[in-house]
Amino acid sequence: MSAVLAGNQLTKTYGSTTALAGVDIEVHGRESLAIMGPSGSGKSTLLHTLAGIIRPDGGQVLLRGERIDNLGEERLSALRRKRFGFVFQFGQLLPELPAEENVALPLMLEGMPRRKAVKQARRWFEPLGLDGLELRRPGQLSGGQAQRVAIARALVIEPDVVFADEPTGALDQTTGTEVIRLLTTVTRDQGASLVMVTHDADVAAHCDRILQVRDGRIGVHSPYTSA
Amino acid sequence: MRSPVLPLTWHLAKSSGRRGLQSHLLAAAASAVGALILLVLLAATLGSADRADRTAWRTPDAAPTQRATAAQTLTTTYVRDKPVTVVTLAQLPHRGPAPAPPGIDRFPAPGQTYLSPALAKLMRELPASQLGDRFPTRTGYGTIGDAGLAAPEELVAVVGRTSTDPAITRATDGGEVDLLAASALVSGFDGASPSAFTASDQDIALLGGGLLIVPVIVLAAAAGRLGAASREQRLAALRLAGATPRQILTMTGVESAAVGLAGALVGTLAYVLLLPALTEVPYGIGTWYAEELWVGLPWLLSVVLALTALTALSAVSGLRAVARSPLGVAQQADPRRTRKVRLALFAAITGFVVISAQSGSQGTMQKLGLIVLVYGAFWILGPWVVDRLGRTVGRFARRPATLLAARRLSDDPRGAWRTVSGLVLAGFVAGFFTVGQIGIIGVHYPGQIALPMEHGNPRVAVAQARERLKEAEVTATVRTATPDSILGATEGVVVQVRGGQAAIDTAITALTPLTPGNPPRTDDYPNAENTAVNKLIGQIGLASLALGFLVAAASAGLTAAATVLDRRRVYGLLRLAGVPLKVLDRARVRETALPLVVLAGGTTAAGTFAALEINKAFGTSVSASGLVQLSACGVVGLATMFAALVGSRPLLRKVTEERSQDPD
Repeated sequence: MSAVLAGNQLTKTYGSTTALAGVDIEVHGRESLAIMGPSGSGKSTLLHTLAGIIRPDGGQVLLRGERIDNLGEERLSALRRKRFGFVFQFGQLLPELPAEENVALPLMLEGMPRRKAVKQARRWFEPLGLDGLELRRPGQLSGGQAQRVAIARALVIEPDVVFADEPTGALDQTTGTEVIRLLTTVTRDQGASLVMVTHDADVAAHCDRILQVRDGRIGVHSPYTSA
Repeated sequence: MRSPVLPLTWHLAKSSGRRGLQSHLLAAAASAVGALILLVLLAATLGSADRADRTAWRTPDAAPTQRATAAQTLTTTYVRDKPVTVVTLAQLPHRGPAPAPPGIDRFPAPGQTYLSPALAKLMRELPASQLGDRFPTRTGYGTIGDAGLAAPEELVAVVGRTSTDPAITRATDGGEVDLLAASALVSGFDGASPSAFTASDQDIALLGGGLLIVPVIVLAAAAGRLGAASREQRLAALRLAGATPRQILTMTGVESAAVGLAGALVGTLAYVLLLPALTEVPYGIGTWYAEELWVGLPWLLSVVLALTALTALSAVSGLRAVARSPLGVAQQADPRRTRKVRLALFAAITGFVVISAQSGSQGTMQKLGLIVLVYGAFWILGPWVVDRLGRTVGRFARRPATLLAARRLSDDPRGAWRTVSGLVLAGFVAGFFTVGQIGIIGVHYPGQIALPMEHGNPRVAVAQARERLKEAEVTATVRTATPDSILGATEGVVVQVRGGQAAIDTAITALTPLTPGNPPRTDDYPNAENTAVNKLIGQIGLASLALGFLVAAASAGLTAAATVLDRRRVYGLLRLAGVPLKVLDRARVRETALPLVVLAGGTTAAGTFAALEINKAFGTSVSASGLVQLSACGVVGLATMFAALVGSRPLLRKVTEERSQDPD
């Protein structure tokens, strides 16, 4: 199976700190991959490098076989907008927009008329258990509901890869489990891959594969068989 | 037990990092600008009063005949269309020595003439036949010191004569006829009537101050609310951790007061340092002496305290929601809606103002009160309009930037209003002072000189005038005349001069000896007061506009920067997700431009209307060039606001790029 996303010999340093020391990584279609590691191990740097947010000092990042780490800032930004989805720990939703407009925003940014974008965004509310919350603003949602809106926003553009950075870090365990289950399931159902950074082994256990990062290097690969 | 509030406030302020420091610096800068402008306004207002007082000695204050020691007359002559104030003094015989007038070391003896430095300079520049010959001596003039003058440019002469000199005995008291002449026996120089050229200075300065005070308060309030979102979240967390509402408010008040105090002190220092430059700004009769613009220590302290209190109050009032409902604020759950009662209040206040203005019988303070009321009315209405505007545009927005801007407007209409309020209210100032500029319907007799003949025969005077004009080589026609606008209530002689200003000044100089104590007059004489007031309004209008735009731009720039800092997390994450910076930037610009265009139009119209009403009350015409000026003001205002927003663009770029610099 060919990799949707691949990083070859990725290196990145911040001053005297080595965040990535020659990392090789492949993410396959419909696969969910958890990146774990202690604080400062380089796991977020790896995620940001794969997502085209950080440019590596060395190595290459390939999306469906095409190199993306050497693209200009404008094209990288467009790539992130069109082919990647993002779910962060919290605070990614615009507080003044109702939930449905938060989800519709990436479509509108691509030029889709507002009415059509909102209509398309609404389709995600029922499968994610958000029915009836379309007009609530982020401040009127619980933490779990807000994360599910963020998942909808990440998936509404039908991305190749969804990147999640500690997506359950601000949630209690029960809500976190519920959110991570939805994230992995819906992402797979959409045919997208998931790359997730987490420090929580229980959360990582929901993914097909776990990568341990330590001192900028890939440690143990822990393959899980998805149910 | 010692209260933990102050140490905790200090600790949190220290720990707030670079972003916290930036917010504090911006807030202090706003407070500094506010303090500086308040002090300048105060200096102009108090200085105007001081300047008027410094001219009061020239108008004789009649003393009981038995106590009088001198005779004093005040007359005004014109050269090159500029007024020259002439004070003629004569020691009364068999009386005690008269005191020296201000600015002169001794009472002038007959034949002695003292000149202000500006008049001495002009006298050196012009031929004696055009100016110098109007005075008894032609050389060896004394100099009037600063104590006798209100401005360095003032043209003043003090002439010593005998008590039997016709310039004393024939001088008329202008009284009801005009304010440029007076005559009385005096015992000193304690007159309380200021010169006609400075009498309106303070009223007009107050008018400008009244128009600018609200934008300045807005700026100071903006300083208090800088960094509000991050502070709200921090304090909401403290509240959740068990802090009492009183502790929350005290911490906020102390922190903001400290920042406001620091800024106000910097603004005060700037005022002190700028004082020499401020003295060079012309107003009315000219520039200033430094002591006139020095407001004094009590006012300095008052301004510093007022700015400190305003900054703290603004911050505390913005935190009432935290104290009441920490969870609500922590989650930003409450859309800050406005109610329709604002519209009703606006209608009630403007209705009251229109009815009051139409009665047309207000004094200066009442007029100022009405202007402040109009401001207040817009202050009440502004957030409601912003809210409705946001909802309406939000309903029809098609592009993401417009939608974001519209939602943000209706999400926090008061915040959005604060951003634009300075410039919106400056629009009121622009409307007031441009289209509404008072045009003079004065008397207009070009080339004509009138000689009031209260004493003497006009027919004889005609012959003498012809002779003198011939000697002076001035071409003119001379005739007797009945009382008119220039002559006032007396009969006299009218001279029609052919030639330019030099010929007129030569004629005035040649004719001066014919009417001792009552110098020949041109149309400058009856127009004097109107000219002075019109000049003041033009100058204060220009200053109000310049300062208004400065304050508005500072408010807008600071608020824009604060918004970027407060929303840096969500902006940063959106950029990571590929949202183009220009979309966020356009949303910011539209968030400001939408209410600005709608509301500034409204206030400008209101300002224009107010000025038209005042014109009506004065029975004067409207300046035709005002529309051009108003358009120019609009363009400058919009450009200023845009520049203020563009100024915070690098900050937006910077804070949204910082999130990718995480070594983890």
